[in-house]
Order: sequence, then structure tokens, then C-alpha cells
Amino acid sequence: MPDTVSSAAPPRRLSRRAALRPDRLLAALPPFEPPPPAGLRAPDAAVLQGGDPALPPLSVIVYNRLAFGPRPGDLAAFNALGGNDDARLTSWVDSQLNPNGISDTNCDNLLAGAGLPSLNKSLPQLWADYYVGNQGRTQPINDIREATMLRAVYSKRQLKEVLADFWHNHFSVYAWDYGYASATWVHYDRDVIRANLLGNFRTMLGSVTKSTAMLYYLDNYINQVAGFNENFARECHELHTLGAENYLGVVNPLTVPKENGVAIGYCDNDVYEAARCFTGWRVNNGYWGAPGNDGSFYYQDGWHDKANKLYMGQYLPSSQASDPLKDGNDVLDLLANHPGTARFIARKLCCRLISDDPPQSIVDAAAAVFSANTNAGDQLKKVVRAICLSAEFKAAWGQKFKRPFEAAAGMLRATNADCSNPDNSFWWYYESAGQPLFARRSPDGYPDNKSVWANTTALMQRWRFANILVRDDLGNVTVNLLGQMPGGLTTPNQIADFWIARLLGRAMDPAANRQEIVRFIAQGVGYDNPLAAQDIADRLPHMVALILMAPDFQWR
Amino acid sequence: MPTTQRPARRFTRRQFLQGCSAAIAAMAGARLTHVAYADPTAPGSYNEEIMVVVFLRGGWDALNVVVPIAGADRGYYEDAREELQVPANQTLALNAQFGLHPALAPLLPLYQAKHFAIVHAVGLTYDTRSHFDAQQFLELGTPGQKNTPTGWITRHLESAPNLPPTILLPALSAGSTQAMALLGSTEAAAMSGPNGFNLSGHWHWGDPQRAALRELYTGANWLYEAGTRTLDTIDLVEASVTGTYTPANGAVYPNGSFGDNLKAVAQMIKADLGLRVATIDLGGWDTHENQGDEGGGYLASNQLAPLAQGLAAFYTDLSNAACAQDYTRKLTLVVMSEFGRRLKENFNHGTDHGHGNAMFVLGGHVNGGQVYGNWPGLANAQLYDGYDLAVTTDYRRVLSEIVSKRLTNPNLATVFPGYAGYTPLNLIQGSDPVTPPVLPGPHRLFMPLTQTGGCS
Repeated sequence: MPDTVSSAAPPRRLSRRAALRPDRLLAALPPFEPPPPAGLRAPDAAVLQGGDPALPPLSVIVYNRLAFGPRPGDLAAFNALGGNDDARLTSWVDSQLNPNGISDTNCDNLLAGAGLPSLNKSLPQLWADYYVGNQGRTQPINDIREATMLRAVYSKRQLKEVLADFWHNHFSVYAWDYGYASATWVHYDRDVIRANLLGNFRTMLGSVTKSTAMLYYLDNYINQVAGFNENFARECHELHTLGAENYLGVVNPLTVPKENGVAIGYCDNDVYEAARCFTGWRVNNGYWGAPGNDGSFYYQDGWHDKANKLYMGQYLPSSQASDPLKDGNDVLDLLANHPGTARFIARKLCCRLISDDPPQSIVDAAAAVFSANTNAGDQLKKVVRAICLSAEFKAAWGQKFKRPFEAAAGMLRATNADCSNPDNSFWWYYESAGQPLFARRSPDGYPDNKSVWANTTALMQRWRFANILVRDDLGNVTVNLLGQMPGGLTTPNQIADFWIARLLGRAMDPAANRQEIVRFIAQGVGYDNPLAAQDIADRLPHMVALILMAPDFQWR
Repeated sequence: MPTTQRPARRFTRRQFLQGCSAAIAAMAGARLTHVAYADPTAPGSYNEEIMVVVFLRGGWDALNVVVPIAGADRGYYEDAREELQVPANQTLALNAQFGLHPALAPLLPLYQAKHFAIVHAVGLTYDTRSHFDAQQFLELGTPGQKNTPTGWITRHLESAPNLPPTILLPALSAGSTQAMALLGSTEAAAMSGPNGFNLSGHWHWGDPQRAALRELYTGANWLYEAGTRTLDTIDLVEASVTGTYTPANGAVYPNGSFGDNLKAVAQMIKADLGLRVATIDLGGWDTHENQGDEGGGYLASNQLAPLAQGLAAFYTDLSNAACAQDYTRKLTLVVMSEFGRRLKENFNHGTDHGHGNAMFVLGGHVNGGQVYGNWPGLANAQLYDGYDLAVTTDYRRVLSEIVSKRLTNPNLATVFPGYAGYTPLNLIQGSDPVTPPVLPGPHRLFMPLTQTGGCS
């Protein structure tokens, strides 16, 4: 296309200004050449430079990436943890990495009072009550959905909540299946994901592999020697351990190079061999010769393919039948110890905790910690600690976008909203933004990447969520903004500055954006003139929503 | 990379937007009237074709969709699919060799009217049986290359020499996320539907809040870009989409998000905002177990039936006896999936990840009523990796023909970098542009879709 009008000075700003100023509109339109930028409104320089945001205080980074955003008082508490940023960060991270040492009474009480009957039931109880019994197959998934939102909003164990979300999406299961997953979801959330998220990866992988929900979701519960089902075996390699980056495709396995005796990556033949290794790993579901019906993992010897296998360059002889689970355990051992898995998990954690495109230095460092601790009971805690305390963590900002879950929980936290018992209306609004919890259909989990989420629907829906929240229409969620504002704040400058600090924990960036907030609450009054109480009451919710809608609130 | 200058188009789009915004529409009345007419000096020099890409996530079972019904291949098919085979006499005859799955009956009239063509044994010429790799390769348009920063449709929009500079909403991903084929596009909107696409603002404070929001999202950064695009889309919807949408010609969309998304695309096409490409997803095709014996069950009733009902409703909705208002004359709709499934059924009455696939192409300029492609056969020696239907037609060949002949974008090397295999299958009417057309100047105005368009 010829370069005809492209030499234009910043076109978007001009048109935007004009759109906002009807009185300027006709003047700004014809001819179809860029009108001169001057004169519409001054000053504009700072606004025109709006780009990647500056690094905010470390407390803001911590609470927006290692938590679901700050609640009132969180940032001040962080700043009181030590004499400098490093000391504060170390103190905070170490505390968060020992979640049981954090008193969480308020959240515990809310959960206890929320009427979530399945929350403390064992797997056999869940199976008996909700799968076999008639107490509602979706009760456990509904309970965990609510518990997950309550914890994100109220729990002081924020890093644990962030990691629970991470691992749920890593070992993603569509949990609204009206079957094995929905009925046992408490087990998957509590005993499989949360029990291991600061523990050992191999243990977690084994727990996932043997879980009722995963066995069912990826079809391993029917995987048998008569004809293997490769669904779980394939995704276990591609999504759970080595990652697609180590998938070599349809190649002759004998041509795959080895490192320390192990294939450097996996090919289709390895998927098939692994599927054979997992034959007979099923659910004790009362059918097909199962000895019981309690929903637990069950190995069925008659379903297991005992012939020898060649997997990732390893020979698994038929004699392994003396330890019938050894075939499958060998696969999981190899995967959990493979350097490709260390790199894949390390990069994914760094993407979550630092940036969509994390520096290779921290990925390598985290992978090294992962590999050096494959037998450690706190392997994953060590990996997460290395990432959170890294220079790369402290230096990154503004390259991640809050996804709908983080945005919604963040708004509820920032406004100190009461969402202690969210109803269907709340969930309808929340889920419209495109990230209903535990509802990703495909096994890859929700992406954690701005290129997927920074789209018109995700933004429109969170803006809408903010508007509906502040006017108390978000189902039975309530928020009292006036009551949270110290007395004596009456001028536009005072009110705007209080709420910018409260909700964002820092000045707006670019600084000129603050003017929009002040202008909005002022509505033509002098910025240092007191507003009438009724005007404050009328405008405050919409001003607060505006801050929640601002770019500053969306970064991670 | 493309030589186009996006700011040029963007600038004029923004200007037009001002005219659209309801808040100022009254003042801009004269302007709107002006814009409603195309530049009379060179009518028809813009491309007005609409491409809709329906992506079936999970890998659909192409061999049970376009079923071999005769010859040795029928025998191989029946041997491999003892449980799952669709009885030949239940299929809808496409030709002597293939029959269509009976659940796709709503599409048969389109096939018979020659608006619906099928390409078989088509797909990705890259060795992967991974859903997510295959989807990425297909949508990025760069098989084997996953870090391509833009999707193939993004590169089409960026390199198309013949889109009006004032185009308002050129691309839409129906649903809550943006399709990977539109990765990197700064002018695509994601939307489940126009109804409810608003900020639910306060009756009085909503407008100043929205104005302030526009200020806050000014700047050069991915987030500011997305925010501005969102505000533009909200403005557009407010100014152009009013009331409840009633599909034309009694079209009935299936319940569920697929039907809703198709309906939203039809609605946005008819809103005449310049929609040129749209993407729609339909998941649920990863049928590793119990997909339905003898052509019935899950695949038939949960997947194929709503697919066919939706596509037929979409086509009906966009049709019009008066050719100037017949959007199907500008429409080319493609149905694709990441791969087909294995020839041999598995033990669980399902099928595992395969290779060769089928694509559907529907539209007013499709040479329909035929099954295209070079059928490789189903004998053992003819299968890919000994298991799967082989790929004999690169999927990019099909898409290139649409881009070239219908969207008349000659920059195929930009849309599909590294692909030199394009020769038309001739499943699309039209001719390939030889050289890029002379570009219109910057003063072009938006040309409503209904004003031109061939009734050939």
C-alpha cells in the first residue's frame, strides 16, 4: 500500500480527543488528512507517551503476581517486613511458602459458614455420596468453585492460591462432566493438587495419574491390553511433563539421540509404549471386575499389557510383571527426572510468576533447582522460591495481563467487597469473561498469555464487572465504598488520591491519567473545592470503577 | 513482511468512528450521510468478500464424515471400523465413491446446489499428532514453526491491498477469546455477540466514565491498543446494532454457543461494518471413546447434527432472493480441524489422533457438488505411518485459493510464508490476481457491503 497518509502524526489520539469533544468533532473530521494535533487539549505530552509502565514498588509486584492483588493494608504490611526490598521479599515469600504457618481464621470461618457440604469428605465418601448416591453429582465441583473464589479473595495464603490455580491448569481437567470428575472434585483439588503444590513433582504426577478425575477425563480408566487407549499417555507427555517442545513427532524411535542413556525427547512410538505401560490403571468403580466401588485407583492385572516395551530408549522387559505397577511407574520416574521436564515446568512457572516471555537466565536457574531436587520432598517449594527471589522477578512488570479470574478476584479484594457467599448471579457475571473455573474443555488448561486474553471480550467484561460491582448489583456481593473512606476527604484531589493509592498502591502511570480520575469526580468543580456529601455519594462508586477499569489495574 | 501502512487505515477508521458514536451522532448527521456512499470515481475497487473460518477443535473423524462407500476402500474401512462404520446405505451420496454422514443432511441441499465443496485427504503436511501443535501450525499458517508472531488471517488483513481504509470492523472472533489465526491483529474483535456488549454503565455517569476510559487507554502498548479497540467495538455496536436480532428466512440456529456465535457473525455481517473475516470455534471432537457405533451416538447427535444445523441456518440467514442483498454471494466459509482420526477404531469404540482430514468449503462462488483432492486410498501401504489417512493436499492450498480468488489478495507469500505449493484446485470461482491491483488513495470512504457485489 502506498505510503500516502501514513506519515501522519499520532492519529489515534486525535480522533479520540475529537470523539470526546463533540464541539470539536466537525472541525476535526474533514478533510481526511490528519488535523494538527495541537489545541484540542493540553497538556498531552505525558499521555502521548503512554507505553510500557514503569516499575512499581516491589509490594505492588508481589501482590499482583504472587497474589490475587492487594487487600486494604496488604501493601503496608509488606513494607513493614524488613529494612529493604530484598529483606521484605524474602520474609514474605518464606512465610507464604509455609502456608500452614499463616493463621487464616477469617477465611477458614467463611469457608465453614458458606455451606459447602462436600469440602471435608474423603474420596470414598465423595464417591458414595455424589457418584453412587443421590446427593448431586455437581455438589463437589460447585463447592470447590466457591471455595476457590473465597480463598482467592480472602485467604492470607495467597501464593498457595496462585500455585493451586497454576497446577490446576497444568494438570487441567474439565470438571463439569456430571461424572467422575465433578463428583470427586474435592479429592482432586485437596489431595492431588493442593497437597503437592509445594512438594515433590514426581509425587504430584503420580497422584494426578492415579486420580479418579484424570483417569476418567483422559480415558485411562478404560486403557487395557485388549486395545490400549493413548489419550492420557499422550497428554501426559505433551502437557504434564516434557511438553510439546520435546515432542519429536512421527519418527523412528531408534533414531532419537540419547543423553545419559535416555532419549532426548519423545516420539509417537513412546506415546504408544507409555499407553501400554498404563494399561490396567483404572478406577475401582464396581464394573468390569473391579473388586469394589469406592472411586479409588485400582490396578487390574488382567488388563495390563505385560509384554516387553521399548520406551524412550529404555527396555522394559516382560519380567516387570512381578511388580505390576513398575511399567507405569518407570514411565513417570523417567518423565519426572528428564531435563526436558525440568525446563518445561521451570519455564511455565516463570511465565506465570514473572513474565509471558521470561529471561532465559531465570528459566535455566529454576530448571537447575528442579533437577537438583527431584528426590526432595520440597522440590517445588525450592523451585518457586528461586523464581520469586530472583533479580528477574523484581525487574519485571507490565508484561502480563490479569486474566478474568485474577481481575475479578483483584477487584473484590481491592474494594474489600463482601462476597462471602456468591450466588448464581455473581457466577454468571464472572463467567461471562471467558474463564469459568475448572471448565477448560481441552486438557491444556487456560493459557496464561496476554496474546490470548488482551482481547475485546475480556476487557469489556471486566469493565462491566467493575461497574456492576460498585453499584451492588453483582448478585449478592456487597461493597461499601463510602464507609471505607476516612472522614475529612472531600475535595476531588483528596478523594482521587486516596482511592488511587488504595486500589493501585501507587501513582497512576502515566501520571497524567490521574487527571482523568480527578476530573471525573470533580465534574467541573475546582479540584481543591469540597464536594457536597451527596455528590460524593453519587460519584464515588463510578470513580472507583473507573480506577478498576484503568490500565494500571490490569497489569501483572 | 507486509508493506501496508496500518496507521493509514486506522486513522480513517477512527475518524469514522467519531461519526458513529451515538453520543455525537446527532451532530455528525451530515457526516454519516456522506460516509454512507462510496467514492463514485472507482466503484467496486474494494474487495467485499467475507471469509468465515469454522475450526473444529479436537480433531474430527473425517472418515466418518465423508465416508468411503464403494470399492476396496470400503472394505478396508469396514475392516478397520467394525463397530463405528457408517453403513453405506445410510450415507448421503456425494458421488460414486463417498457418502456424507447422515447427520449432515441439512447441508445436502447446499451440496446439490453446488454451493458446498469437500476436500478430502487434506491437512497439515507436518508430522504431528498433537492437538495443540497441529492447531498452532494450522492457525499460524507456518507448519513446523510455532513462534510465528502473527496468524495467517492477521497477515492476510495486513497485506490485503484492497480493503477500504475506512473499514470499521474487519475481523471478528466469535466467542470470548481471539482465535490464533488472528494472533497479533490489532483490529480484530472478540465477541460472543453484540447484545450485551456494553459497559452496563450508569445512566448518568456512564458516558463521562466511558470518555475518561478512552483517555486512560491512550498510548502505544498492547494493553492500550486492546483497550482502544474494545472501546471502539463498544461504540460500533452501540451505534449500529439495535434491538433483537431476527434471523432471515426463518433460519433456526441450534441452541448453544456455536449457534449463538454463528448468529452473532451473521448479525455483524448484516450490520455493514465491513466485516471481512470471522472465526468460530466448535469443540468436542476428540472422540477417544464411545463416539457412537454405526454412525450414531455422540458424534452424530452431539457434534455433526448441530454443526450441520448451524451452518445451514447461517447460509439460510445470509441468503436473499434479491441478489444485491444476498450475502452468500460474498461468502466463503471454511470448516477445518487439526487432524482427522485414525482409520482403525480403538478398543473403546473411539478413534485416536490421526492425520489426513476433510475440509468443507461453502459459499456463493464455490464450485460445489464435488469432492476434491487426490484420494490416497486406505490400503495398508497407502496409509500415513501405517495408521492414518494420508495427506495429499496441503490445507494451505485450499486457503490460498480463497485468499487469492475471492479475497483477491495476491500476497500469498506473506499469508503463508515458505509455502510455494499453490495451484488452484478450482474449487473456487474467480481468477488469481496476477499483480497487486492499483491501490486506492487515502480518501476512500466506507462502502457498504450491500452496494455492490456480483450477481454472477
